[in-house]
Amino acid sequence: MTVRFEIGFTRYLAPNGKLVPGLPPFAADAKTIIPLYEAMVRARVFDAKAVALWRTGRLGTFASSLGQEAVAVGAASAMQETDVLLPSFREHGAQLWRGVTPVELLLYWGGDERGSDFKGPRQDFPVCVPVASHVPHAVGVALACKLRRERRAALCILGDGATSKGDVAEALNIAGVWRLPVVFVINNNQWAISVPVSRQTAAETLAQKGIAAGIPSLQVDGNDVVAVRMAVAGALERARTGGGASLIEAITYRLADHTTADDASRYRDDADVSPHWLEEPLIRVRTFLTEAGLWSKKDEEHLLQETTAEIEAAATAYLGIPTQNVSTIFDYTFEKLPEDLVTQRQHALGRRVQSAAPPAVQS
Amino acid sequence: MKTFALPDLGEGLAEAEIVAWHVAEGDHVVADQPLVSVETEKAVVEVPSPQAGRIARLFGKPGDRVLVGAPLAAYEEGVHADTGTVVGELSAASPTPSPRTRQGVASPIVKATPVVRALAREHGVDLAQVTPSGTGGTVTQEDVLRAAKALPGAGGGEPLKGVRRAMALNMARAHAAVVPASLFDEADVEGWWTQGADVTLRLARAIAAGVTASPALNCWFDALRMERRVHAQIDLGVAVDSEEGLIVPVLRNVGHRDTGELRRELDRLKAMVRNRSVPLESLRGATITLSNFGTMAGQYAALIVLPPQVAILGAGRISPRNFQGNSGVGFRHVLPLSLTFDHRVVTGGEAARFLRAAAEDLQRPA
Amino acid sequence: MAELKMVQSINLALARAMEEDARVLVLGEDVGVDGGVFRATEGLLGRFGADRVLDTPLAEAAIAGLSVGLAAQGFRPVAEIQFTGFIYPTIDQLANHASRLRTRTRGRLTCPMVLRSPAGGGIRAVEHHSESPEAMLAQIPGLRVVIPSSPLKAYGLLLAAIRDPDPVVFLEPTRLYRAFMEETPDDGAALPLDSCFIQREGSHVTLVAWGAMLRDALGAADLLAQEGTEAEVIDVATLKPLDEATILESVAKTGRCVIAHEAPLTAGFGAEIAARLAGRGLTSLLAPVERVTGYDTVMPLPRLEAAYLPGQDEIAAAARRTMSYK
Repeated sequence: MTVRFEIGFTRYLAPNGKLVPGLPPFAADAKTIIPLYEAMVRARVFDAKAVALWRTGRLGTFASSLGQEAVAVGAASAMQETDVLLPSFREHGAQLWRGVTPVELLLYWGGDERGSDFKGPRQDFPVCVPVASHVPHAVGVALACKLRRERRAALCILGDGATSKGDVAEALNIAGVWRLPVVFVINNNQWAISVPVSRQTAAETLAQKGIAAGIPSLQVDGNDVVAVRMAVAGALERARTGGGASLIEAITYRLADHTTADDASRYRDDADVSPHWLEEPLIRVRTFLTEAGLWSKKDEEHLLQETTAEIEAAATAYLGIPTQNVSTIFDYTFEKLPEDLVTQRQHALGRRVQSAAPPAVQS
Repeated sequence: MKTFALPDLGEGLAEAEIVAWHVAEGDHVVADQPLVSVETEKAVVEVPSPQAGRIARLFGKPGDRVLVGAPLAAYEEGVHADTGTVVGELSAASPTPSPRTRQGVASPIVKATPVVRALAREHGVDLAQVTPSGTGGTVTQEDVLRAAKALPGAGGGEPLKGVRRAMALNMARAHAAVVPASLFDEADVEGWWTQGADVTLRLARAIAAGVTASPALNCWFDALRMERRVHAQIDLGVAVDSEEGLIVPVLRNVGHRDTGELRRELDRLKAMVRNRSVPLESLRGATITLSNFGTMAGQYAALIVLPPQVAILGAGRISPRNFQGNSGVGFRHVLPLSLTFDHRVVTGGEAARFLRAAAEDLQRPA
Repeated sequence: MAELKMVQSINLALARAMEEDARVLVLGEDVGVDGGVFRATEGLLGRFGADRVLDTPLAEAAIAGLSVGLAAQGFRPVAEIQFTGFIYPTIDQLANHASRLRTRTRGRLTCPMVLRSPAGGGIRAVEHHSESPEAMLAQIPGLRVVIPSSPLKAYGLLLAAIRDPDPVVFLEPTRLYRAFMEETPDDGAALPLDSCFIQREGSHVTLVAWGAMLRDALGAADLLAQEGTEAEVIDVATLKPLDEATILESVAKTGRCVIAHEAPLTAGFGAEIAARLAGRGLTSLLAPVERVTGYDTVMPLPRLEAAYLPGQDEIAAAARRTMSYK
């Protein structure tokens, strides 16, 4: 028996803001599309502020999501409140959409665990640093939803590099064979630090790794927030209603360095990056909105000013938050602190505490 | 720095207002990357970077109006330093401490378990003196107990405190520093001595006479600086024996105060010693010391010079002797004198002159 | 009340826990239909159904990872790793996630999972089936490591582990699975975690062991008793967090200590106990602390296994050395 597979690619909004035939109705609905644009702008302004704070020694190493806002916002906007988000470390736009506050994000990247104690989305997972290790978690969360027969799903966002890891193969496989309510979104920004996707895998698409797990898999233009939203919304609804898992590869581009400590010009030409600015996700939506008469100059100005003010205020608030008490190093290790740790905590409290200043400026 | 100016945005405008920066100073940007959003008549437009590079400076803040052709951003020139990491910060190398050379062979620690050590401490046994009989030359409990039995008067010792402790420490220090020499003589005191005579005051006067003749004995010596300070005033330390031990209150300015005053002062000091209420100032600053040990027993003694002083005069028991004095032969009461001086500072001649003058004064009937 | 082998008492504890708490799930390879390759999960699928007992694909990392996801969602997963030779892929999930989920979210998300696995040698098995990774796991902050030494202990400690709100690795000594039987009442009574157990009282020397070595320690104690040496035998049970007080108190009484474990010598968990004795127990010691352990080599294949595994003779010899030390 010969088995064939096909990976579809979807885009609705081209880089120039022009529509491709078959635009879903919501895209013309200002009430739906404008919040997506605003959220992407918010993500970008936040991102720039985080980088600026790092540069002045007031935030730790930060992974910028510049250029990838549509994947994060598009995917998160398709979730219902009771779904669970499991991000990697470059989905600030998704976390912000879900109700994680800019202050919480700054606390996390600024080196304070309270940043992961989300007051908003209580069940969402925190940022995951060991690449792909959160993908099995998503499967566990989905299993929990299924066992409880709840109309809920898990949304897991992972990078292109992550797809090379065994964790992903294992997780996709279980999600497939157990028909679990989980949607995997590959935030394919085409770079894993210095390794381009062409050297990450021989597979023509990353989506087809889902085929290997028996899961419906497709590709979308990751810079088209409409396409991302469409695909993820469909996949989540399928998941919640017993249709099982999906894998969506959203193709975008990492316009920033891997992290603020990285210097991408060491391994990729600036000249190769420039053309991708012409495909970036915010401009095409704004162009579309403007030409559809849904967005004006005043709206743009107002949005930029308001968002900048909000993010500035968040940065000020973050900078004013004092460091946690030294005892918090210990207090959350177990539900109840064992003897050994009580002694160690005492020792730590007795030491001269180092200044709580954020990391020093780099030369 | 390469500066980039606000380009002509069309619409015939001469200026635009900055709405929001999209990059910050220090950022690495590529060509076509939006630097800033500016407001024109018709729209908010993004101004893209003309080149790749690192932003050195941005000109203006949101709300500012920038003229077309005015500087917008400046780019760094030259190579940017490599951080050498993708997360966190690696601090710059600090000089590694140079390896310390071996300091020579220290004596090895006696092998004994902690329990054995505690036992040794308890019994006052010096482990280094114990012959080890355990494996590998370890001192065992039996070894310690055996050694303890051999110690005379093994038992609890009385720790020295207060005055006794101070004496132990001070005498040891003095012994370590001073180079003592002693000169002995006698004074014929038949002329004035009676049972109730005030010997101490006569001795004080004699010392004053000695100092007059030989001021070098009334001084302080600073061995570190190799300086001596000869004092004009004589502050006499008077050794007093008490229950607690040796206490030396100071009689000030004995050279220029009358006897009655000195006697009252001395009595006061002695009373305070008995009451243990002598103040600290009264124990400090003696320039020379007198020990009238003869009131108890003894004739001659090589006493201890207490730094920074350089001399101490000891007076022994006055006793009648068959003495060949100036007034002829016969039984005369004689006061033995012992002068110990620090030979680092005082010469034999100086000491002798002092002693002769003191003895002569003591021989005067009044 | 019945006399049970350890594998049966584990089965009993699992059933008990699942009966009492609907959040408890059992998952792993071959745990459902097959009842587990050692039959530890026998009958559970039939009794509790496929929603509670899950046969997973062959994917240790994912088994551990999805346990984290389940636990964060409020379930109490008890994941089986078929042999500790296969536990290593789970260390990523244990060290990077399970053990730190509570602290890194300031208590917002927690991870009440149990990872259980047959550990240790002495079953003449093929390669990689005789591992003793307890020291490696014990060093992970935020993780409990528990090792039962008998059917009764297994029942009570496993119940405690399942009920504990934080992650526990439960290493079951494979060679004890069927080695002996013990009265094990199904009373749902948990034994305390973080606590050593004094199995035998004595005043001359303290023997410290866990898991399968405990029987060897007790055997050594019997040998020593014949010579007039009364050994106190301590079952550590929970390696981390360690109940050092019990061990220190015992050595304060005896002044001598022998620690026994199958795992290799260097950086084995015996080193941790020895360090504690050298610290707070120093002035009690009459002799050096002895460790009776496996060698710093891979466990040899079955033909030479007996030459590797320490036993009661080695423990007794070590105890005698401490007794005769001057």
